[in-house]
Amino acid sequence: MTFQERLKHLLVSELNLEEITPEEIDDDMPLFGEGLGLDSLDAVELVVILEKHFGIEIKSLEEGRVAFQSINTLAVFVEERTA
Amino acid sequence: MKPVIRGVGAIGGFGCGIDALAAAATRGECLPGIVSVKTETGHVDMPAFLADTSTLEDFTGKKALRRIGRYSRMALLGSFLALRDAGITDPAKERMGVIIATGYGASRTTFTFLDSFIKGGDSLSSPTHFSSSVHNAAVAHVSMLLGITGPGLTVSQFGMSVPSALLTARCWLQEEMVDSVLFGAVDEYCDVLGYCRYRFFGDTAGVSGMNPLDLDVQSAIPGEGAAFFVLSRGDRVPGYALIEDIHFDKTRDAARAAGRETILFLAADGHRECAASYGRFLSGPSPIACYTPLYGSLPTGQAFDMAIAALAMKRRRYFASPGHHVKGPGAKIIGNEHVPGGERIACVKSDGSGWSGFVTIGSSDGEHDGVFRNT
Amino acid sequence: MNGCPRVAITGIGCICAPGRNLPECTDTLFAGRTKPLPPRGFRHGHSISYPVFEVPEDWIAPGSGTAGTSRTNRLVLAASMEAMTNAELDREILRSPRVGVCVGTTVGSAMNDEVFYRRYSEGEKPDMAPITGFLNGNPAAAVARQFGLTGPCQTIVNACSSGTDAIGVGALWIRSGLCDVVLAGGADELCHVSYNGFVSLMITDSSFCRPFDLHRRGLNLGEGAAMLVLQAAPLRHGAARRPRAFVLGYGASCDAHHLTAPHPDGQGLRRAIGEALRTSGISSHDISFVNAHGTGTKDNDRVESIVLSDMLPEVPFLSTKGCTGHALGAAGAIEAAFTVACLEEGRIPQSIGFESPDPDLPASPVRCATTLKGTVALSESLAFGGHNAALVLSVEEGTS
Repeated sequence: MTFQERLKHLLVSELNLEEITPEEIDDDMPLFGEGLGLDSLDAVELVVILEKHFGIEIKSLEEGRVAFQSINTLAVFVEERTA
Repeated sequence: MKPVIRGVGAIGGFGCGIDALAAAATRGECLPGIVSVKTETGHVDMPAFLADTSTLEDFTGKKALRRIGRYSRMALLGSFLALRDAGITDPAKERMGVIIATGYGASRTTFTFLDSFIKGGDSLSSPTHFSSSVHNAAVAHVSMLLGITGPGLTVSQFGMSVPSALLTARCWLQEEMVDSVLFGAVDEYCDVLGYCRYRFFGDTAGVSGMNPLDLDVQSAIPGEGAAFFVLSRGDRVPGYALIEDIHFDKTRDAARAAGRETILFLAADGHRECAASYGRFLSGPSPIACYTPLYGSLPTGQAFDMAIAALAMKRRRYFASPGHHVKGPGAKIIGNEHVPGGERIACVKSDGSGWSGFVTIGSSDGEHDGVFRNT
Repeated sequence: MNGCPRVAITGIGCICAPGRNLPECTDTLFAGRTKPLPPRGFRHGHSISYPVFEVPEDWIAPGSGTAGTSRTNRLVLAASMEAMTNAELDREILRSPRVGVCVGTTVGSAMNDEVFYRRYSEGEKPDMAPITGFLNGNPAAAVARQFGLTGPCQTIVNACSSGTDAIGVGALWIRSGLCDVVLAGGADELCHVSYNGFVSLMITDSSFCRPFDLHRRGLNLGEGAAMLVLQAAPLRHGAARRPRAFVLGYGASCDAHHLTAPHPDGQGLRRAIGEALRTSGISSHDISFVNAHGTGTKDNDRVESIVLSDMLPEVPFLSTKGCTGHALGAAGAIEAAFTVACLEEGRIPQSIGFESPDPDLPASPVRCATTLKGTVALSESLAFGGHNAALVLSVEEGTS
């Protein structure tokens, strides 16, 4: 499984996204607003998910703003923070 | 001002919908399910009346429910069912208010939130579970999914939640803050509540069925569910029944509310601690029924009695009180042979600390001679 | 609202970080003396300490409740004692079933005792006292028990608007003829569980909160209680004093938008304010100031500023949460108490924590103490779940 695939599985299971499969999430699909349709509550839940699964601490939402745009940007962010 | 009950939605151990409640009341029985209660010495199987919310997806689709916990799901299902029953497909959203009465609130989600940081540390506290763990989450989800923008209120007063909240619902209508109220009662069962029942009453209480009118026996079986009502002003509006009176206080005079021309539906639910306060009705002049064996013991169970009362008024026929033994002479128990003769039904709930709540339901279609007939 | 009687406020009690009673709170509010500190009542495991406005333990005398009474209930009983003493009600009146209690809370109704749940989760046999305490600890019932009240009793759990809603509902009970007297308000305690909840939502500031300020980064949690004695006016029941103030109007609505974010255009808040003004018979021109919800979060303050500049342009407003923190279910009641106190003083303090205007906000709060030009004010609350509530309060009886 690629890292992007792992992230997709994590989002689907942890955010309870029942109507979409990991395979249906494009790597560049916007996660918030259009695209996957996540909202502000999902954003703060994602912060917790990243700490729980990767030990990454995000202290403010501004830190996550660029990272949370798509699966690809999220993958880059996680890899940078866990290097 | 006497609110009209225009629609009823109910879910619980008896199934889903007012027809399911009517069917259980006609049968005079409802079999509880089994829950496995975790104790410090291993798991214990105990009875409980559990609700099934799977049909909610028929109203909302699956996606809309992804962050919605069970407590709010029961409220949503009750709401949709009540509105459908009232024939309301497009509620006047700004002029409708939502009031929910609950004893325990969103108990499952409360403990799920605690789990998130007890297991993982404070930094892993889940914001999604926190925001759904508050008692008013149900009103929030109902208002969002139904687009209702009038006032919203959640009342939590344990056994007195229903009459207390109804007082405010009636005020809203009387003061014309709204034209209709989506009024509901919701309580959910969870593992912790099951464990508390085990610790307080042991593992055998209730296992041979609820016997709530035997006041010396602890026979409560926990239940969960939701009973929702669409209430509005106006006594010429078609509906099930009127809410004639709401009386809730701590004075002994509360017993006066049960006049001669009143049938009593007692919300005695097998808890010995509260049982004594129902004793005066068993030997009193009014005929009584007790339907709690159909839905179990929960703080807001009185709302199910209101639903059964509304049904009885509409169909002009009582449901026999579910079979059980009554100690002591003189109690007049409602049987299949009893036919309404214009009397009112007082749904009565007493708690163990002296409070009593009476919700009196009356016919909504005109004058009657007020005589109880036993044909 | 239609019909008599009017709703008088004859007594007020208030306990929160700035003071153990309303006069102390008012002094501190005008002196601007409080600041938030790391919590002392509980430990937490966050890497950043988010400061809170805690009530000193010795302000809540053990004698204000029975042993084992929850902190929320000890706070509400302290405020209730002050309010009842202030109202100088004839004690005989309290026996009537037409005397009600209405209390707003969030923590006070939550079955979330950590010690109990940890032991249960770990397979141990926990002491059941926390559960018994919870079952016997409903806040409105606790107040009723304390004063021997036997009338309508209601605990409202409407998140951050609970206190405002409780006072509005109490006023409705009087106006509709259900009660002659209602003890109404709100109470909430600081606790580890709600601390974790708000921190997880990333809306808490690691420094002191700055409502409406350009540099605002979130709220500081607080705790406390405020209770008002509401009475049907004209007063009939042995009140030795004239009313302090009046509840002229109340409005409430749901955003129907989102579980934690307010409607971006403030539609629900507009409806609540509109309803409060309509039912009071007061025009927006007669509002001398607004006690805003003003938590210090980006979203809340932006929405309020937009709505206030639209509906009540040029009307001075402030947030008092820079002095009290956000006391959740108690907030609306504490702010109603402060609103009356400010009307009585004829002035409002500066909006503590505000220094730099945010160019994205069309209206900013007052930066210094301001003399009032009138006798009527609005106090508003916005809550998770999209509840909005507003009260119109006056030190004169009004003509609605």
